[in-house]
Amino acid sequence: MVEERAVKPAPFDYAAPASVGEAVALLDDPDRDSTVLAGGQSLLPMLNMRLARPDLVVDIGRIPDIAGISERDGALVFGTMATKGAVERSALVRRRQPLLHAATQLVGHPQIRNRGTVGGSMAQADPVAEYPAVAVATDAWMHTVGPRGERTIRASEFFVTYLTTALEQGELLVEVGVPALPEGTGWAFTELSRRHGDFAMAGTAVTVRLDADACFSDVRIVVFGVGPVPTRMATAEEILRGYRPDTDLYRRAGDAVRDAIDDPLADIHASGEYRRHLAGVLTERGIADAVARATPQIEGS
Amino acid sequence: MTGGWPVRLRVNGATCDALVEPRTTLADLLRTELGLTGTHVGCEHGVCGVCTVVVDGEAARSCLMLAVQADGAEVITVEGLTGADGSLHPIQEAFAQEHGLQCGFCTPGILMAVHALLAEDPGAGEDEIRDVLGGQLCRCTGYHSILRSALRAAAGVRAAATEGTT
Amino acid sequence: MTFACLPVASPRWIGRDVIRKEDRALLTGQTRFIDDIVLPNMLHGAILRSPFPHARISSIDTSEAEALPGVIAAVTGRDALAWSSPARSAPEGWGVHCIATDMVRFVGEPVAAVAAVSRAVAEDALERIAVEYEPLAPVTDPFAAIEQGGPLVIEDKGTNVMLQRELTWGEVDVAFAAAAHVFTETFRWHRVGANPTETFGTVCQWDPGTLELIVHGSIQSPASVALGRAATFGIPSNKVNVKSQAHGGSFGGKGGARGIDIASMLSRKAGGRPVKWIEDRTEYLVAGGGQAWDRHYEASIAVDADGRVTALAVTLVDDLGATGEGFGALGAAKPLAAFTGPYTIGAARYDLTLVATNKTPAFPYRGMGPPPHFFVLEQMMDIAARALAIDPAEFRRANFIPSDQFPYTIPSGNEYDSGSYAEVLDAALDLADYPELRREQTAARQQGRLVGIGVVSTIEPGVFDWNAYAILGMTQTGVPEGATVSIDILGAITVRVGFSLEGQGQYTVVSQLVADYFAVDMDAVRVVQLDTQSAPPSFGPGGSRLGVAITAAVLGACRRVADKMLPVAAGLLSVPVDDVELWDGAFVVKDRRSAGLSVAQVAGTMLARSDLLPAGVDPLPEATFVWTAPGRTQADDQGRAKSYLTAAQAVHVVMVEIDPETGVVEIIKYCLADDCGTRLNPATVDGQTDGSLAQGIGAALFEEYLYDEQGQPLVATLADYLIPTINEIPATSKVAVVTPSPFTPLGAKGCGEGAIHTTPAAVMCAVNDALAPLGVLLREVPATPQRVWTLIRETA
Repeated sequence: MVEERAVKPAPFDYAAPASVGEAVALLDDPDRDSTVLAGGQSLLPMLNMRLARPDLVVDIGRIPDIAGISERDGALVFGTMATKGAVERSALVRRRQPLLHAATQLVGHPQIRNRGTVGGSMAQADPVAEYPAVAVATDAWMHTVGPRGERTIRASEFFVTYLTTALEQGELLVEVGVPALPEGTGWAFTELSRRHGDFAMAGTAVTVRLDADACFSDVRIVVFGVGPVPTRMATAEEILRGYRPDTDLYRRAGDAVRDAIDDPLADIHASGEYRRHLAGVLTERGIADAVARATPQIEGS
Repeated sequence: MTGGWPVRLRVNGATCDALVEPRTTLADLLRTELGLTGTHVGCEHGVCGVCTVVVDGEAARSCLMLAVQADGAEVITVEGLTGADGSLHPIQEAFAQEHGLQCGFCTPGILMAVHALLAEDPGAGEDEIRDVLGGQLCRCTGYHSILRSALRAAAGVRAAATEGTT
Repeated sequence: MTFACLPVASPRWIGRDVIRKEDRALLTGQTRFIDDIVLPNMLHGAILRSPFPHARISSIDTSEAEALPGVIAAVTGRDALAWSSPARSAPEGWGVHCIATDMVRFVGEPVAAVAAVSRAVAEDALERIAVEYEPLAPVTDPFAAIEQGGPLVIEDKGTNVMLQRELTWGEVDVAFAAAAHVFTETFRWHRVGANPTETFGTVCQWDPGTLELIVHGSIQSPASVALGRAATFGIPSNKVNVKSQAHGGSFGGKGGARGIDIASMLSRKAGGRPVKWIEDRTEYLVAGGGQAWDRHYEASIAVDADGRVTALAVTLVDDLGATGEGFGALGAAKPLAAFTGPYTIGAARYDLTLVATNKTPAFPYRGMGPPPHFFVLEQMMDIAARALAIDPAEFRRANFIPSDQFPYTIPSGNEYDSGSYAEVLDAALDLADYPELRREQTAARQQGRLVGIGVVSTIEPGVFDWNAYAILGMTQTGVPEGATVSIDILGAITVRVGFSLEGQGQYTVVSQLVADYFAVDMDAVRVVQLDTQSAPPSFGPGGSRLGVAITAAVLGACRRVADKMLPVAAGLLSVPVDDVELWDGAFVVKDRRSAGLSVAQVAGTMLARSDLLPAGVDPLPEATFVWTAPGRTQADDQGRAKSYLTAAQAVHVVMVEIDPETGVVEIIKYCLADDCGTRLNPATVDGQTDGSLAQGIGAALFEEYLYDEQGQPLVATLADYLIPTINEIPATSKVAVVTPSPFTPLGAKGCGEGAIHTTPAAVMCAVNDALAPLGVLLREVPATPQRVWTLIRETA
């Protein structure tokens, strides 16, 4: 309840491990409720308001070599501590993953992006956040290190429900891989928020490929802000596949998106019904914008 | 306020040592331990931007950083903008000339956000400035005098750089 | 610009854009706000607050909290009962103790507090306070609250109706019966409020032995606060001293009485150690001074066959929350000062019900009540204009008070000092290129786009007086504002005032005035703020008083000082005193205007050469002047009185486009013309307009406090309460018209509240103009995308 909030955190222990292994060991302690501190833009408000009361805060900001941005095997690879500001400024990202670049510019404000991290955003799994939506739309993967070793989790399995990921006790997200956008792919990241920089009331991440006949070949439509996790809209994608771009088609896809939304989120800014409606509108607009950026490709190239 | 964690950081060019609790924010370290009350606090949940300072060259909300995270960092606050002889920084001068403040409570945060932007991107234009100002709330001015001030500040900073006086 | 009251050939400072004196300290972070105050042995307070909107407190135990290391004192309702009386309120008799004693009445109401060595430890301590509540059914809907038989917010009152009055001015029923057209509509204005970037804060020292109380705080009206504390604690008024810090905005809605009283009691409990309490943002949003204007309106206008509005009837149900401690009720009375706006509406009725519910008490907010009232009036003007197919600008013009009829007394009793309403309308329409806007709208409508234009006009009453609130039972008339001007032995000038900086450039305007009076540099004038024990009577700049009350006080003090110096100068010049005057900074023989004596020479003589002084002359070059508006009257039984001294007027022209698929309202163009009389510092006036306009846009499109049906606040952070950022505020074009006030020394009118009176009306009129082709009317403010979309969808 509202009256329980404060502005100074409850007391906690703090550790700043110098390696991933050390961090995992600290996080894996069953006797202490611990939380990871990455950029702090989501965690600090929770700590300040005493909505989060961990026994131990594990600051991974001192671990070397986990903040890089590089390309490897056709994917952009981000160390978990790479800041969104660094992502925004990266010429590599702008060139190879314009969808991610566009989404980044909609995250809060530069002051937030300076500290907020790629890994932090993924691990937070906020249903109204931009990065998880991009991850699902691009088939990103999360590389983790835990007490039982390392593993890779695909985005489609990583986001489980509101603010909940597949990360287990003691498991640390260390790297995020986002496949580069293939040449000629059209893309659009569209969201509606109350003020510029606010969390979205609803949003879509759309990528489309057109074949040599200028018909939709590959279509990905991800809706976020409406359900507990960003979701691929398979029925809507099916409506487009094989057909030529056409605004009637986009409208039907938008309707399909609305039909697929069961139990939308709701808050004081947007009711469930309004969000469901917006999801459809932003699907139509996203498809149109993505098509405008696509160039027809010979299949297989 | 004293706790067991030692932190050492440079603030406005001077090395500062303090003992803090892990839960002490950078904002509280600056204001209480170091007596630099020019940085203000408006919400302590990261929305208003009033507490903005420059950490390692980037604008950051000091209420969203733990003091321990600033160990080893280079921090600039509004007190660091003013010259040692009391002269105003071109950014401060621009805000005075363009009436970019009324009550002045949000002003230090805005000055630091603009300073960080212009230090990183001296050619910053209106779009970049608006993007940064979008993260800073003001209740008095309606923002357009702030925008004019920031644009004037950008010109002033560029001019000073050309003269080699910054 | 020349002024008869300034003894200079041409003023160098008044009327010019000058750099503000306050700015250097603010820009360098040197200005001390309340949280920058550190006193020896100071403790930090934190407040435990009720999670329930309505509950009995069965038990409360602070012993574990007090046992926590670092905790020095704790207080509960028991202490409040022992040491204090229920707070003053409007209406009177609707206040409660600063800490809940047996009952909590809104979520966030204080139930206990602790003082500790740090805020963090104090908050740790709050978690160790054990409170047992018996929840009771809350009443959250004001209409349900009015009905008998439901929960009572304050049981002893026997009702939830704080006030019910029907005021009738002129032959209202006759006008409605005779009207060619009658239009009636209902409207809903949701709670909005001040939200300055600095919340309230205080440091209190209450000596347990002498019971002397010192209050430091972020306080807009220190003298009122001092009197309030004396009354609440039952201590002599000269044992309370309030020192206000420069504050980070207030806009009327800083609140603070409970915080001060709690911090004071903690201090007393802690042996007199200073206790600092800084309200955090969630506390401010949920339980502070930031909620106002929770209103349900029904309005009717009578229009004759010529398109003249002959009568206005407004029914208002104002949900003031759990108590009257916030004086939010004043906002329901202030509309009397400008009830019929800029129009010649001859008869009016106001059916007013003030209701208590289990929500946070309502506080003042900039504008103090008229902004929602004008939203309603301007909607009705547009509804009529649309129905009669008359252009809304021309409909208003035909109803304006003509320029030759001022001073003009409106039906609700106040007098407007001066105005050139048609001139202001023309200036705004020209600036906007209104015919071109209508052409653009026509073209857009042909494409099926929802484009709308609002042209509205409102009155900003300035320089408030207590008699404006007579219907709430206030009997005071006059709001004294005092200033002392003092010249030292070397001729240096100091002005002493009783209020602190809050953003309107107060000390700059005061300096401009005194510098022009004595023909010195602005920087040579020093403005010093005194605490309430030392200051002359003062209310401060609230209520748009800077340009009039404060300047009149300062001007009066300057004149008195000059008058005291005349006989000394005359003696030194060996001429009769009637032949001497102050002119361009020197005491000269009249008409010759040749070399005379400098102010420094005369002041120096007064203080150091008693041998040269004429017999019986007061040797002190210092004087105090207390100003209050002349000609104020006691209100009659219908609340009619000459209350607010000045009436500024504005016309805003706004063009919006609505995205029908999302309901988002975009402001495409914003032009305004305003007339607030003489502009003492044009940049300051523009700044006030810009800030007030931004708040108006916030109120129209973004800001609201919502509660659920159980009385739980749904707005607790700045992610919930949407203060506009730079991206939400359009650039505006402005033009000034100057019709001086005949009633004020420099012809200035109160103008600080300005645009917030007009902007919500303008934006909402534009929104409804955009929706008009769909045949729907949005009657709820703010016009959120969801509300707009829902309305549009109903037409499909």
